[in-house]
Amino acid sequence: MNPFWSNIFRSSGYEETLAYFLGTVPVFSKLNKRELSFLETIVYVRNYQADEIIFAEGDIGSGMYAVRTGQVKIYTHDEHGNEIEQAVLETGDFFGEVALTASRPRIASARTTETTVLVGLFRADMLDVVRKHPSIAAKILLGLTRIISDRLHQSHLLLHEALRQQMTTDREHSHD
Amino acid sequence: MTEHSGFNRAQMVVLYVVLTASIASGIAIFSSASTITAMLHTASDGLFLPILLSLIVAFLLDPAIQFFEQKKINRTGSIFIVYLLLSILIFSLLLIIGPPNWKGMLQALKADFPRYIGHAIDYLNSLLDAVQQHLPFVKHYDLSEKLRASAEAFFGLILMHTPKSAMRIGSLFLLVPLFSFFFLRDSRRILRGLIAFTPNRYFEMVLDIYDHVSWQLAHFIRGRILEALIIGLVVWMGLSLTDIHYAPILGAIAGITNLVPYIGPIVGMIPGLTIALADLGMGGQFWWILCVYLLIAQVILDNFILIPILISRVSNLHPLLVILAIVMGGKLYGIIGMIIGVPIASIINIIILEIRQYRQTFSPYMRIISKRE
Repeated sequence: MNPFWSNIFRSSGYEETLAYFLGTVPVFSKLNKRELSFLETIVYVRNYQADEIIFAEGDIGSGMYAVRTGQVKIYTHDEHGNEIEQAVLETGDFFGEVALTASRPRIASARTTETTVLVGLFRADMLDVVRKHPSIAAKILLGLTRIISDRLHQSHLLLHEALRQQMTTDREHSHD
Repeated sequence: MTEHSGFNRAQMVVLYVVLTASIASGIAIFSSASTITAMLHTASDGLFLPILLSLIVAFLLDPAIQFFEQKKINRTGSIFIVYLLLSILIFSLLLIIGPPNWKGMLQALKADFPRYIGHAIDYLNSLLDAVQQHLPFVKHYDLSEKLRASAEAFFGLILMHTPKSAMRIGSLFLLVPLFSFFFLRDSRRILRGLIAFTPNRYFEMVLDIYDHVSWQLAHFIRGRILEALIIGLVVWMGLSLTDIHYAPILGAIAGITNLVPYIGPIVGMIPGLTIALADLGMGGQFWWILCVYLLIAQVILDNFILIPILISRVSNLHPLLVILAIVMGGKLYGIIGMIIGVPIASIINIIILEIRQYRQTFSPYMRIISKRE
């Protein structure tokens, strides 16, 4: 179809809004429409050029970002200073969420690879929400906890697996 | 030749016209710049006090509005509720106590003022005589004439400005609630808009530091205003126990001057003591008034109760900086500048301290990270 026409007939309603986008981010998935439109007023929309550093390893983190459009590369450095790519994030992905609860240094760097729009939620505003709208804050923090505990569970399983493999290889060596 | 320079004749003409026009408009703008600043000065002249007062009102009312916001009322609604409650309170106070007799008090003060000045001059003269007896090389200084002249000038100024200030007070009653309403409702949005201008790389740091600073600032400003109010009230009450006239005015003076550390309380004390000496003499009431000013208001209330509770976390300015702030504020804005100079210096101090603390808190992390690399 000609994109000219498709633009006219597509409903440019709720699904285009920032609130809808925030609803698709897993951290905010339990929030209802009204709470999402409140969330809209406390997040910051930030525009980035291609190849702009969002934060660097060791920076003091103060909040999380969700990718609205564009692409973000997460990477660390090895001992020679080379970049090791950890992940490439696209629309709907989020990162830096650990910094939302406490200011800790970032454990990896983030950089855009193309023109990108990020939606940031920061600790200062989060603390304000905790004070003024505890129920919304509880939902956001529960979502955050769920994600972090999922991740903990996953890394626990990975660690377990790695340990078992280590033990079996050790045993084989001792048999030899 | 025109081909070499890359311009044809028409382009040269256009360039010439554009250059001339820009130079001419540049000169015009430069010459009118002073007019524009003068106009801006005239236009904003009467706005300084209303804006300052509405900021103070906004800072004071903010906690009350947050209280209603927590009850799931939106901000505009909460502001209206607080305004309504406040106006009911003021109205009922006026009904119960009756409007204060400011006009009569001012009239009486106008009559009494020369007498108080005369008394002060007599006292100073006797002091000077005593000094000259012990230290004969002190030159005779015509104190009484100088003081009388400046006091008369000051008095004339008050007389001249009274009708004008009545108009101004009327406009304050209109402007202050309006301004503080918008400050209360939109300050968050305005500040967020300003912060959003920060470049991406520094955004997180700026937001974090702003959060700390704004909390400290709100705490400090609210604390200072409450301190001035309470001191003023206590001095008023302490003085009304005696037979002294003008206790409310003296209380207000004591409260306002208390905003300036070290020097303020002493200056605030002088009118009260002068009136007490002139009207009541050196009796027990005079000592009680001195006791109210020094011991009750300053030592017990301010040092032991108010400062630890209200302004505990904010470190004090160095006395040298305080004096500098007072002198510079006085040069810029006169008496109002002297009063607000110190709070503004403290605000700058808080900002610098917060930024330094922010960097210190996280330097250990930085070291760990840099070691790992």
